Amino acid sequence: MDIQLSGVTVDFASHGLRVLDDIDLSIGDGEQVALLGPSGAGKSTLLRVILGAVRPVAGQMRVGGRDPFGRPADVTAIRRATGIVRQRDDLVRGLSARTNILIGQTHQWRPLDWLTVLRGRVPHRYTERLAALAKRHGVDEFLGTRIEHLSGGQRQRTALVRALLPAPRMLLADEATSGLDPTRATEALAHLRDAGGATLVVTTHDLPVARQFPRIVALRDGHVVFDGADLTEQAVQDIYGSRDLAEVGS
Amino acid sequence: MSTTTTPRIPTQRGPAPAPPPPRREPNPLLRWLLFGVGAAVVWSLINTDVGVRSLIQGRDGAARLLEGLFPPDLDGTLLSRVGTAIIETLQISIAALVLGAVIGLPLAALMAGNVQAPGWLSGGARAIATTLRGVPELLWALLFVATVGLGPAAGVYAITLHAAGLIAKLCSEQLEAVDSAPVEAMRLTGASRTATALLAIFPQARANIASQLLYQWECNIRSSVIIGFVGAGGIGQALGISMNLFRYQEMATLLIAVLILVIGVDRISRAFRAHLGAASHNPTPTLTTRFRQLLTRRKS
Repeated sequence: MDIQLSGVTVDFASHGLRVLDDIDLSIGDGEQVALLGPSGAGKSTLLRVILGAVRPVAGQMRVGGRDPFGRPADVTAIRRATGIVRQRDDLVRGLSARTNILIGQTHQWRPLDWLTVLRGRVPHRYTERLAALAKRHGVDEFLGTRIEHLSGGQRQRTALVRALLPAPRMLLADEATSGLDPTRATEALAHLRDAGGATLVVTTHDLPVARQFPRIVALRDGHVVFDGADLTEQAVQDIYGSRDLAEVGS
Repeated sequence: MSTTTTPRIPTQRGPAPAPPPPRREPNPLLRWLLFGVGAAVVWSLINTDVGVRSLIQGRDGAARLLEGLFPPDLDGTLLSRVGTAIIETLQISIAALVLGAVIGLPLAALMAGNVQAPGWLSGGARAIATTLRGVPELLWALLFVATVGLGPAAGVYAITLHAAGLIAKLCSEQLEAVDSAPVEAMRLTGASRTATALLAIFPQARANIASQLLYQWECNIRSSVIIGFVGAGGIGQALGISMNLFRYQEMATLLIAVLILVIGVDRISRAFRAHLGAASHNPTPTLTTRFRQLLTRRKS
C-alpha cells in the first residue's frame, strides 16, 4: 500500500500552531520507513493524516490509491487495511487482552462471532494465528487478564498483536517500542519489520531505532529536514539542534 | 555615532499621591435583580401563609397526630399486610427499573455524542428522554390509574417512564465521559459506529452505568411510596388508606416499614456499588448519606 503526500499542511487553529508545513512525501508499497524527530515535530499528526483522522488545511493525499478524506468507503477501506500501534493507551479497560486483540477487526465478524468474543472466546478462524502471535510476543500468558491489571509493557505488546492479527497491508506504529524493555523493543521492531511485506511507517525519537530502517524521514517543527538512508552527524544536528545527543541515543 | 536621549525628569517633588480608588458604581441591573428576587420571596411567603402563626395554629392537630401514632399497631394481621405491601413495593421498583433500563439505555446510547448516531436519531432520542423525565411520576401515575385502573401495574408504568428519561440522561453522560483514546483507536480500525459503541464505549462505562441503575432503584423505591397515595399500589397505597381512615397507629407501623425498606435498599445498593468500584461516582447523595453527613458535621 503506497502513500503519496503532496504539500500537506496541518494547522491546529485552536492553538494557533502549524503542525505540518508543506510536506511532500512518497512511500512505496512494502517500503519500511522510520519517521524520526523530537517531540512536537509532527510525527504522530502525520500518521493521523494518513488515516484520515486529522484533516489538513492544504495538500493532496493518496493512500493505496484512495483519498483518506474522500468517500466514506475509501476511508473505511484504508483503515481496514491498516494496523496501528500507538504510544497512547488505546486498549479498552474492562475487557480482557484477548478481546482487545480481537476487536481490531469487527468488520470481518460474522453474527455468531459477536457472541463468541463477548463470551471471552476466540472465533475459530482466528485461533491459530492469534495463538502463534500471542506466543511470539509473550502475550499468551495474560490473554484472559483484564487490561487494567496489565503493566505498560504488557499493554504495548497486546496492542502490537492487535495490529498484526489481521495481516495488514500497512502498519503504522507511533512510538510503539517506547514502553518496552530493550530486548522486547528489539524483538517487537523485528516482528513489525517482518510483517508479511506490509508498508511500515514507524515514528520514533530514538536514533538507534531509526537507524535499523532502510529509509529515515526526519521531521522538525513540521518540516521534512532529512530523507535518506545514512543519517550523518550533521543531519542529526539539524534534527535535534543543540540538544545533548546522548539524550536521543546517538 | 550614537544618540542619547535625556530622560524626562518629573517637575513635582516626591512621588505623586496615589489617586483614590474609583468608587464602584453598583450595577443597576444587579440592583433591580436583587430587588426582584427579594420581592418574589416575600410575596411567596405571604401568599402561602408560611410563618410561625400557621405553625401555632396547627399545633393541636400535630399533637393529636403524634399522640395517635403511638404505640404503633403490631397486630399480626396488619404486619402480614405490611409485609405484602413491602413485597409489592419492591416488585414495582424492580419491574420499573428493568423496563426503564430497557427503554432508557438505548436512548442513552443514541444521545451520547461519542457514539456519533445520526443527528435525526440522537435529536429524537433526546426529545423523547426530555419528555419522559419532564413529566413527574405522580402525574404519570394519575394518568395510568385513570387508564389501567388502581393497582401496582399503574405504578410500574408510571415509574418506568420517568426512570427511562432519567436513565437516558444520566447514562448518556457516563458514556460521553469515557476515555476517548480507545474509542478513536477502534474507529481507526474501520469499525462501524455500532461496533465502536458496543466494544469501546460501553465496556468502559459499564461499572458507572451499573452504579447509576442501582441508584435509580433507590429512587424507584421512594417514588413507589409516593405514587401509592394516588392508588398506584405498594406500601404508599396502604399508607394513603390508613391516613384517610385516620388509623394513625397503623400508619406508624407503615412509616417504620417504609424507613426500614428505604434504608435496607440503600445499604444493598451501596454494597453493590462499592463492589463495582464506582460508588464514588454517585452523582447525588442519598437520604441516609445526607443524614450521616449532617450528623458528622454536628459532631465536629
